[in-house]
Amino acid sequence: MDLSIIPWRLILPVLVLQLILMFVALVDVIRHQRTKGPFVIWIFIIIFVNVLGPIIYFVFGRRQQ
Amino acid sequence: MRELGVLMKKELREHIRNYKVLWIPIVFIIFGILQPVSNHFLPEIMQSVGNMPDDVEFVWPELSGEDIFYSLVGQYQIVGILVIILAFMGSIAGERKNGTATLIYIRPMSFRNYFLSKWLVVNGVVLSSVWLGFFAAWYYIAILYNNLNTKDAIAFICTYSLWIVFVVTIVLALSTMLPTGGVAATAILITIVYPVIESIIGAYWTVSPWKLSSYANDWFIHDIDRMNLYKSAVLTVIAIVFLIIVGISMSRRNASKTTI
Amino acid sequence: MNTVLDVQKLTKKYGDYLATDKVTFNIAEHTSTALIGPNGAGKTTTLSMLAGLVTPTNGSIQFQDHSVKDIRSLIGFLPQYPKFFHWLSALEYTEMAARLNGLETKNAVMEAKKTLEFVGIGNVMKKKIGTFSGGMKQRLGLAQAIVHQPKLLLLDEPVSALDPVGRRQVMELLKELQQKTTILYSTHILNDAEQMTDQLLFLRNGKLVENGSLDEVRNRYANPRIVIEFESIEERKRFESLITWEVTSKDLSISLAVDQPNVSMHQVLTILQSNNCSVRKVEHQTASLEEIFMKVAVI
Repeated sequence: MDLSIIPWRLILPVLVLQLILMFVALVDVIRHQRTKGPFVIWIFIIIFVNVLGPIIYFVFGRRQQ
Repeated sequence: MRELGVLMKKELREHIRNYKVLWIPIVFIIFGILQPVSNHFLPEIMQSVGNMPDDVEFVWPELSGEDIFYSLVGQYQIVGILVIILAFMGSIAGERKNGTATLIYIRPMSFRNYFLSKWLVVNGVVLSSVWLGFFAAWYYIAILYNNLNTKDAIAFICTYSLWIVFVVTIVLALSTMLPTGGVAATAILITIVYPVIESIIGAYWTVSPWKLSSYANDWFIHDIDRMNLYKSAVLTVIAIVFLIIVGISMSRRNASKTTI
Repeated sequence: MNTVLDVQKLTKKYGDYLATDKVTFNIAEHTSTALIGPNGAGKTTTLSMLAGLVTPTNGSIQFQDHSVKDIRSLIGFLPQYPKFFHWLSALEYTEMAARLNGLETKNAVMEAKKTLEFVGIGNVMKKKIGTFSGGMKQRLGLAQAIVHQPKLLLLDEPVSALDPVGRRQVMELLKELQQKTTILYSTHILNDAEQMTDQLLFLRNGKLVENGSLDEVRNRYANPRIVIEFESIEERKRFESLITWEVTSKDLSISLAVDQPNVSMHQVLTILQSNNCSVRKVEHQTASLEEIFMKVAVI
């Protein structure tokens, strides 16, 4: 597949937003280490599941009290 | 007013510190960007991936910017609304369950302000996300397709926003009477599953809050009768007011269910 | 003394279960009242009704101040397990509490700081509550209950979760608070109740079974007696043969109830001395609150 046809310049903002999402989720996990289930698994989910990983973490992974 | 302000400040701080003010807009913006970009480049990408017999000529429908704008609603209708439901289902039910509501309920505050503070702040977060998403799509559509008529696009977003406020109000009202899981299930049924069923079996009525999202597209079609859109909008506003009243009285009535 | 709170026939039913049954009492200003009773006696239900969290099935709760629209403004409440918004700092939380109780912003911040200093967590007031230990949360719980200077302070097991040092410190704080407000607290730690109580309310199975000052209740159940411990069992038996009173004896000691005719410390000592009994200890005993508790709770 020819990667050059992907309009990188146009989807750059999406990549940046994804990175922000991932970064914030990671900082939150590592700082609090209060997750439902082992937090190492959450780190993997956040890094390797594109876009949805950090969102799943924010919705389901953060332990409230 | 002071009381409403204090409660709203608490809500806002909560959504800042649990990153909801960050990740919810990002989700809507990502969809807003990807919709026009992927639609525009889909034919080229499919071709370069190959795998298509040479003699089959794929005819890609010629889409206008308006079509793309409207197709974004299709994305928001499922993923966007799911995000809203999951992010805010616990707004009241969760506070009661974990007992943090107790130390609020023992203060001389009104449940009207309690419910409204949540309603205003959640709508603020959600609507800014939806608007940012549409603006992002609008910008990309202008680059890749054609520019949208400003007045039409704004009217479109406003109409869709009314539907979003309706969804938020349903979620919060349910949160006053059900546990968190029940809120999610019921809200998904009402706002995601029901419209799908209605679109399959067809409905014989034309005035309904559930039709607002498709009526929003009418703004791009000129010389069309918008009576059903207006009627649906008025009905939605009435439904929202009704749900707010229900939410206030149920949050008062269920206050004693808080974990002490 | 002024009555702050008048409770009449307070009843709460959950289905068929009577959590409290016609509980009637009143509380005088600047006193502290201990609500004691075994688990499930209805202590928390009673406090929750007074705090306005639970609606009584029947009965009335009257505050001295009739002019107030919302009785919640007169009350400070500390639940047994206070739960906070962990993402707020102690100062932000206490300030919010003060503001919801009607204080102006400036005043609220000032009072919040003062109160947090008072309860001993002034040094961590800018830290997130999520990082607090149990003891710090209990102190914050106290702070949010008193920051608006309530007329009546309701505390549900305020010290049970604390270690002995923290317990002592919080009891000292409460004693100090009693100068300014009226306190009603539940506890199952009777030692605490003995230390700080003007009035004792004893709940059992939702019913108020005892109500009075510590001394009154004590006298009712005191069962005063003289206990003598002898050097040897022979000595004990010799003493028993010298007297005509009814005694209960065990090993080296005997115990004789004071309510018998002619029993007095003086009498006992005279007999012991004139017969040259060798004793280790002679003691006048009354029931401790714990014994009273056991007696009242088990009936």
